[in-house]
Amino acid sequence: MFGRIAFMELKTGWKGLLIFGLLVLVISAGIPLIFPTYRNSLIEELEGASKVHLELPNEQGGMITLSWEPVETATSYTVLEDNRSYMVTPKFKYMGNETSITFEKDFEEKRYYAVMAVLNGTSDSMLIGITATEKGEDPFQELLKNPAYAGFTGGRNISMLEVKGFVALEYYGWSWMLTGLFIAYLSVSLIASDLENKRMDVMFSAPVSRRRYLMEKFTAMSFIALFIVLVEITGLTWGLASINALNEFSANAVFLSLIGSLPFLMIIAAVGMATAIFFQKARTGMGITFAFVFAEFFLIPSAASPRVLNGLKLSVSSNTGTTSLSSLTICSKQEISLF
Amino acid sequence: MSKPKQGSVRERGDTISQEKVIEIRNLTKMYGNHVGVKDLNLTVDKGEIMGFLGPNGAGKTTTIRSCLALLAKTAGEITIFGLDSHRDAVAIRKKTGYLPGDFGLIPSVKVRSYLKYLLSLHGCSSTKKMVSLAERLQLDLDRKTNELSKGNKLKVGIVQSLMTDEDLIILDEPSGLDPLMQQEFYRILREEKKHGKTVFMSSHNLAEVESVCDRVAIIRKGQLVVVEDIQVLQEKTGKMLEVEFRDPFNIDEFKFKGVSSIHQDNGRLILTIHENLDNVIKAVSNHQILNMNLKTYSLEQLFLKYYAEEEVDERGDT
Repeated sequence: MFGRIAFMELKTGWKGLLIFGLLVLVISAGIPLIFPTYRNSLIEELEGASKVHLELPNEQGGMITLSWEPVETATSYTVLEDNRSYMVTPKFKYMGNETSITFEKDFEEKRYYAVMAVLNGTSDSMLIGITATEKGEDPFQELLKNPAYAGFTGGRNISMLEVKGFVALEYYGWSWMLTGLFIAYLSVSLIASDLENKRMDVMFSAPVSRRRYLMEKFTAMSFIALFIVLVEITGLTWGLASINALNEFSANAVFLSLIGSLPFLMIIAAVGMATAIFFQKARTGMGITFAFVFAEFFLIPSAASPRVLNGLKLSVSSNTGTTSLSSLTICSKQEISLF
Repeated sequence: MSKPKQGSVRERGDTISQEKVIEIRNLTKMYGNHVGVKDLNLTVDKGEIMGFLGPNGAGKTTTIRSCLALLAKTAGEITIFGLDSHRDAVAIRKKTGYLPGDFGLIPSVKVRSYLKYLLSLHGCSSTKKMVSLAERLQLDLDRKTNELSKGNKLKVGIVQSLMTDEDLIILDEPSGLDPLMQQEFYRILREEKKHGKTVFMSSHNLAEVESVCDRVAIIRKGQLVVVEDIQVLQEKTGKMLEVEFRDPFNIDEFKFKGVSSIHQDNGRLILTIHENLDNVIKAVSNHQILNMNLKTYSLEQLFLKYYAEEEVDERGDT
């Protein structure tokens, strides 16, 4: 009777599946739960922008005045200039004790300025704020919509200040990666463990065709993938409900977006099983399938969105490593770079 | 070492014309450049217990796995119940019970549910035979599969190969039980034979094959050496009798027809007996015996005998 092998697979593997299911549930419910805290800290950072004032000249050319609020523990201030909000190759505009500078506007394009305070007794700097020569959107918000990230977000207008944007970037990206790797691991080991533990001969001493064997294993994988997706939906709905943000999502969107990941998971499962059969070794099969999962994340823009998270960390290379925006410090080299 | 020629393989068991269950014709299996089995021809008749004897790495498992389409053969043809071993593999497996030489169990399930699972794959629902086999072999069905000792794991394998009550039973080295259980297992096999079942079992142990098989095929380095009735084999190889007497004796007393060699060593008598065991024992019993041992020759000794004979044959041919 078809289904026996699939059932046995589920019966013997339920403990591991349950543990992974719990992990997925905690992550799914937990990510919306951390959103309020995350938003508050992000808003705090955005306020930094208002601590820097920029006065533009009325006519073409003329003088720009950049001033900022003094920091008590600062020994000096540094101003960096770049024409991109994410300041990959900034130039030094100013170093000194003054809390304002004036310079001629001899350029047309939009320019960005980051003001930092060099702290007393340390080599570290503290970001006071970022501003730009054209008013309008907050440079931080602009940073989030920077074309550099558009590739990773599928060109969507995503704001991390909204629960939608946060969940889209923080949750969907990571959860697909996590479940993708789990499915890859399972699908390879489902076949490879039968081979490596010499269970194949007993299996094929029964009147079971190879086609049936594979179909049953794939069926088992389908149930496992469906289970994980259902846990994701449950967890996410639960988490969103806990922060009263469920009304910002349409129930269908949550459901469909996660169910929509099933075909990807099944493709991963098929690749995993195929590599396990071809190489007849768990380790080789695992390596190849994992590589496939990663490749898939970079090929599919929406799935590659976890990269945006790294983008958000306006990270600064320093002799102590890299730090994120929320605790921005600048090293003596004072170069700001992304990722 | 001389290789036996194709023509030198004798099939003395073929005198009785019977329904053939397994027919292997010119089976060759290469593993790259390494020969697994070469040009092997073998038939197993309905209702017999056929032993498949050879040292480790001789090609026994390769032959058996080819029969069940678990290996792709390089050349040759195998039919089982008249069906092609590869094309009709699923149909053949429906009528075959198989104990692999090396196998793993699904971990963390009870033996009972594991065996029931295999029964269901065979499309059987009756657990009667499974339970009775487990009882006879003293296998606890309520143990978890990952808690089993090597011997108990083998018992699970034996039960799974016999419980589906198939017409053909293929056993790849079913040895490793303790002596009492091994005897019970042989009794079970003889009963299966009585019920018309065909058994094809491989072994590297001559004594095992002698105690249960009707015929034996001997394989070495991928090639069939000989197929022989077990009685003929026994007569040919003989047994080694070692007796320790309390008093001195004259070796001439033991010169009977069928005794091929007589040695005396420190008051011990060593004989190789092919037939007339009864007369020898009677002669031995005329003396006061301190110790006595009747041994089967090892496989290597058996090969030496066959190869020595082969050389004589070849010289005779030329």
